[in-house]
Amino acid sequence: MLTAHHLFKEVIASLRNVVAPAIADPYPKSQAYMAAVILEFVSRQVEERRDIDQEKQQTLNRLFHDLSAFLADKTPSSASETDYEARLCRLIEWLYNEKERLGPEAFATANQKVRAALRQLLDQELKIAGTTE
Amino acid sequence: MAESTQDKIVSYLYKKVPSAKNLSLSQFVQTAVGWSHEIYVFDAQWKENGQEKTQGFCLRKDPGSGLLRTLSDLKEQYRVLQALEPTPAPTPKVYWFEEDPSLLGGPFFIMEKVPGEATNPWSKVGKQYYAEAAKRGKLPRSFIEALASLHNLDWRAAGLDFIGVPGPGNDFALREVAKWESLIQRSLRKPEPVLTEVLMWLKANAPKTQRLAFVHGAYRTGNLMIKDDLISAIIDWELQVIGDPMYDVAYVLSDLNREGSPLLSCVVERDFFIDTYQQLTELTIDFDACRYYEILYMMRSTAFWLSASGLFAEGKSKDLRLARTTYSVPVVLNMAAKALGF
Repeated sequence: MLTAHHLFKEVIASLRNVVAPAIADPYPKSQAYMAAVILEFVSRQVEERRDIDQEKQQTLNRLFHDLSAFLADKTPSSASETDYEARLCRLIEWLYNEKERLGPEAFATANQKVRAALRQLLDQELKIAGTTE
Repeated sequence: MAESTQDKIVSYLYKKVPSAKNLSLSQFVQTAVGWSHEIYVFDAQWKENGQEKTQGFCLRKDPGSGLLRTLSDLKEQYRVLQALEPTPAPTPKVYWFEEDPSLLGGPFFIMEKVPGEATNPWSKVGKQYYAEAAKRGKLPRSFIEALASLHNLDWRAAGLDFIGVPGPGNDFALREVAKWESLIQRSLRKPEPVLTEVLMWLKANAPKTQRLAFVHGAYRTGNLMIKDDLISAIIDWELQVIGDPMYDVAYVLSDLNREGSPLLSCVVERDFFIDTYQQLTELTIDFDACRYYEILYMMRSTAFWLSASGLFAEGKSKDLRLARTTYSVPVVLNMAAKALGF
């Protein structure tokens, strides 16, 4: 997802350089310029949400802990990877690639645990995208 | 003063119609619907051998940095439309393809201006238009007939195999997944574990194709020109493939293309579509395959949105419509997750 500050910058630029100059009527033109000015102030007031990343991190920690207990020594050796979402991507690929070796039951259980975590990650992202049900 | 786009088109048309005199353009409109191409629609008037001539044209141009640039080739689109011209599929006639980017700033081709309109089904007015047309009854049947005309096509005889022919079994589905995964890999700016799960599921569950057909790849209202409640042309030829006809059927059956309307693609009743399509194509709709392709479409949409927001993030486009798609990624992944049961 693009950062809030990047988007503020681009929306302000669009209002100033694209929208406002194209408006002939003085009142809406002044409103477009003023919206750009106000958004510039607002962008200084806003901080990126950190709680979402923290929640996601906790979800991933729980999942890796849970899965390493469940799969014992069968999991791939990526525990040192610092990007936990990249680590989860690799774990998902590994599970599908090792499906036969793991057996259908173990695969299904591990996949269920992964999907439960994915649901929690999605719910965090949907706090911003705005369609959490 | 710099030469306008209209002036450049007039110069080009003089080259293509050397006997033309007093050539001018009117009703010149750049349509705002496309994200991946620039489209200009206009009428041209000229004198030729002492006679007044008027013809409507549509110019489709590669803007260079639009969406799907790596997956969509303007020359291929031109050749596909050329191949479709003698077939029963309703398509615009194409006239000239121009590879030289110096003329208009990118390759382009010129085709006929087809009568009718491709009303956007997402607007309130559009929904109402399609709902009323559905009640009148001609358009729903025409919608199915046009789709069947593609799926019944002898694509080898039409010379369409140049776009690539998948192997037997589940090769088509796997090729399609790989195609969109390549766009994801080019666009992805951070790991997306939900998308990884969707991709791995798609690879592990690819269905077999019952028969290979010529598939549009985005068959829905909005990509169809309509005149007097009949499909006058199927447009937006970017994603066509030789593949499983269920790929198009799934797109029609999908909720993705009706946004709350009870009608498929906002225009046709589900049962009527299923019965008429099966009758016209002698195919049996494979609902399991359609469910699979619907999830593939969700992955495809994700790839599309990642590509769009990626273009914006990299500064290759300043179009805020592309920036907005950054928020569409989790929404469509949520749809895929729900379809997969989580």
